[in-house]
Amino acid sequence: MPTIDIDYAEFERLLGMELHKDLDKINDILAFVKGEAKLFDEKEGTMSVEIKDTNRPDIWNIEGLVRALRGFLGIEEGLKEYAVGKQSAEVHVDQRLENIRPYIGCSIVKNLRLTDSIIRGFMHMQDKLDQTYGRNRRRTSIGLYNLDLIKLPLQYTVTKPSEVSFVPLGFTEKMSLKEILAYHPKGLEYGHIVRKHEVYPILLDAENKPLSFPPVINSNDLGRVTEDTRNILVEVTGTMDEAVLNTLKIVTLSLIDRGGEAYAAKIHYPHRRLDVMTPSFDTGQMDLNVDYTNRVLGVQLKAKQIAQMLRKAGHGTEEIERNRVHVQIPCYRIDVMHPIDLVEDVAIAYDYNNIKPLWREMPTTGRVRPEQGMIDVARELMIGLGFQEVLTYTLTNPENLFKKMNRKKERIVEISNPKVMTLTCLRNWLLPSLIEFVSNNLHVECPQKLFELGKVTLLDEKRETRTRDEDRLAAIIYDANASFTEAKSTLEAFMANLGLEWQIRETEHPSFINGRACKTIVKGAEVGILGEINPKVLETWKLENPTAAFELDIEKIIKIKQKEQ
Amino acid sequence: MVELREHEHRTLSAMGRLIGEANVERLMKESGLSDAAVMRAAITLQEKGLVRIHERKETVLKLNAEGKLHARKGLPERRLINALENLGEEASRKSAFEKAGLEKQFIPIALGWAQKKKWTTLDSKADVLQAVMKPEVGIDERLLQVLNEKEKVMAEELDPELQGAVQVLKGRKLLDVEGKTRRVIELTPAGRETLEEGASEAPEVTQLTQELIVGGKWKKVKLQRYNVEAPVAETWPGKKHPYMQFLEEVRDKLVTLGFKEMVGTAVETSFFNFDALYTPQDHPAREASGIYFVKSPKEGSIDVPKKILDNVRQTHENGWKTGSTGWKYKYSTKEAKRLILRGHGTCLSARTLLSKDLQVPGRYFSIVRCYRPEIVDKTHLTEFNQVEGIIIDKDLTLRDLLGVLGKFATEIAGADKVKFRPDYFPFTEPSVELAAYRKGYGWIEFGGSGIFRPEVTMPLGIKEPVIAWGLGIDRLFMMRARIEEIRCIFTQDLDWVRRKAVV
Repeated sequence: MPTIDIDYAEFERLLGMELHKDLDKINDILAFVKGEAKLFDEKEGTMSVEIKDTNRPDIWNIEGLVRALRGFLGIEEGLKEYAVGKQSAEVHVDQRLENIRPYIGCSIVKNLRLTDSIIRGFMHMQDKLDQTYGRNRRRTSIGLYNLDLIKLPLQYTVTKPSEVSFVPLGFTEKMSLKEILAYHPKGLEYGHIVRKHEVYPILLDAENKPLSFPPVINSNDLGRVTEDTRNILVEVTGTMDEAVLNTLKIVTLSLIDRGGEAYAAKIHYPHRRLDVMTPSFDTGQMDLNVDYTNRVLGVQLKAKQIAQMLRKAGHGTEEIERNRVHVQIPCYRIDVMHPIDLVEDVAIAYDYNNIKPLWREMPTTGRVRPEQGMIDVARELMIGLGFQEVLTYTLTNPENLFKKMNRKKERIVEISNPKVMTLTCLRNWLLPSLIEFVSNNLHVECPQKLFELGKVTLLDEKRETRTRDEDRLAAIIYDANASFTEAKSTLEAFMANLGLEWQIRETEHPSFINGRACKTIVKGAEVGILGEINPKVLETWKLENPTAAFELDIEKIIKIKQKEQ
Repeated sequence: MVELREHEHRTLSAMGRLIGEANVERLMKESGLSDAAVMRAAITLQEKGLVRIHERKETVLKLNAEGKLHARKGLPERRLINALENLGEEASRKSAFEKAGLEKQFIPIALGWAQKKKWTTLDSKADVLQAVMKPEVGIDERLLQVLNEKEKVMAEELDPELQGAVQVLKGRKLLDVEGKTRRVIELTPAGRETLEEGASEAPEVTQLTQELIVGGKWKKVKLQRYNVEAPVAETWPGKKHPYMQFLEEVRDKLVTLGFKEMVGTAVETSFFNFDALYTPQDHPAREASGIYFVKSPKEGSIDVPKKILDNVRQTHENGWKTGSTGWKYKYSTKEAKRLILRGHGTCLSARTLLSKDLQVPGRYFSIVRCYRPEIVDKTHLTEFNQVEGIIIDKDLTLRDLLGVLGKFATEIAGADKVKFRPDYFPFTEPSVELAAYRKGYGWIEFGGSGIFRPEVTMPLGIKEPVIAWGLGIDRLFMMRARIEEIRCIFTQDLDWVRRKAVV
């Protein structure tokens, strides 16, 4: 979820309310937009606000946030309409962008009076939109320019990597696009989006001066907005038509909210025989049924009340019938997909805390999963036998599972994008988790008798997820006097109390000492392994005492028990 | 007659045999008791006024190599004066030194000390060394001899006169001096009296044995009184892990409230983790920074009727019959098949809605491990437990959702007050966050919930409203267990687990 940093003094000024940095008060207000103030940066004079809604890019900037809040606070209710002036620019789009980055939207905003705080807000908005809604600039990316330095019309075209050079933002030397990808920090960060293509996108003005190399970097000459900039050109490129237009809309609205006047641009797609006027501030239309609203919320609101709530949420409600409200949805509410979204707006404006909770009695019987009963019994028995239960991650790494256990690597579920190199796969047996636990507690008093009831994940081609999870029990005894005998007598007590007869079959297992390892058999089925840990394994884990252990497949035991009954 | 315990009696008798005073080592030898037993007995005897325990300083003296040499040959100045006497009480320095056979390094010492002791005078111009007198054996020389006879000598045991020479020899660096503190036990007059009268030794035993019990001998012995306040060794019982115990409580509560447990696998298809929950295929949560992908095999299968899969696809693309606009993109079945580690327990709810065993009305829950590529810190885990579930029934409303949350807050969190705030999930609308207030703990965010969007339920063939909820169970546990960091849940600190109280 996005976190935005906003200028606190500006926030109070735009909102028209003094809140005295009272966190509870601020959060009560921010709740309307699913936001929460996280912290104040006194030095920067900013407040961090976490917005839970990942589908409301219109409020990821101070202007949009305040716009939404003013409605809920009753300061400015109803539909806020935005106008766009006559066409003032044209953009010609090259057909060769079709498989690279085909869409562009453009607007012009004039007569702005910018301050440092406003500009920083714009940069922050641009960043948030690029990262989140723009999917790290893959889907959309934004550029702002000083219009007065640009000769219109614009050409959105392609170029070979070494053909065009310009001074990228934050640099003083000219660089070719190829050099930008190789050396510029933004080139290194976003180059992967275009690198696979033979030609790269480029936005040029009428005199072939580069505005930007989308989606990587703008020109330092044209793409720098300062406090002296009066007229701005906004441009959004991307791979998804609607996302491009939405982004352009959100950015342009923020500039309008700051006192600018917006003008349109005509985008020519000659190969598609299509011209598009951008930006578009068209209002959406949707009918909200009164019964439906009341049925979802469990309340008895009249059409007029519902309309009143909708206006708080910034919607227009010109037509109200007895059982239907015709809703005008503001152009920036790109999240409204279904009447249910309007129902939630009604509920938020009404305040959830004004709706009376109801606990409904239902003829349902609770039940744990079938295995749980036996797992609980196993836990009780192990505790009775003096073992401490521990809890470990199911994520581990192949080194722990195999190499450090003196075993050959087997096929397991590995992660293709691990976050840390110690957690790269799901465990396929439990014992290494316990040995690792002991290795982290060498200084702790012995005997250490530990157990875990946990899941392991095994590959299974027949299943939908190509895997199955198994419930396992592993126990370990770490002590100067730990021995095969002690482990065996523990397991014997465990089995006897489950009412199971079991046999032992000597086996060879590289993690255990030869001649001190055995398979455990119940009703002819192998259900686990028991033995004294190989000193080679102890050495790699730096364990200093003899260690005996066993691991059981609890699910198999459960199945055997079920068959018996 | 004074009554003594066995160890006291043995210690006191040994004292008598050692003539009223001894250190611990000697008492151990004499009594046959252990070090600790002698000390314990001495302490209780002191409490009874029969002995006194002194701390005595001992200074151990030992000649070093040079000291031993001088002890054998005589101090350098003594060797010089002897030589002079042999040379007729007067000689040149050179001849005197030669006669004395003095090693080179001892010449200045011999000359210096002979003059300091006023045994000789030196006319350096004429180079004449003259004996002044025939000196007697000094105390320093006597001490040297005494020390030479014994390997070690206690300074405190020397004649007071000889003790005066210790500093001299020490100053001449002929001695090693080592200070020690020793406990010495001394019989008091009362103790001596008790010994003479003969204390009754009640046959006192420490450990009650089977032999004593069965044979009836216990009647004739006295069981030693213990110092019941003395500290004992720690014992570590077998017990549940505190977090597992907590989850068990939560599970029991949910079962009592009529919820059935759902099960699933750690590896899941993107279809159930995302698509069936109306999360668009290009959503950031589906990127490498939001979810773990399985390396091999990369794809699973989606074993649902083709019609359902088609409904989901169309709902994503254009809203299908749900009344929604949909996400307006081209849905990919290949993407839906991608195997991931489940990022939340809601995939089990999606599976349950498709299950032929689904009951309406129905209440379901799950407690499962979930995985997200987070860096582990105070508030994040990359692997964590989620407790969540669904309720399905005709005509369920937001009021029912708030009712369920209120029930959880009181039954599970023991809350005094609750507060509802708007929340967001791609798959629920309206969405509600629950904050619970508990005296002494304050407000905590305790859960997220909502009513499944029509875009979730309709494609799966569900006509009734479905309430979905998840509990912030980790935060609740942290509050209960009074731990500050979420990573303590999977702590590898055995000592913490052992010491954590069960209640």
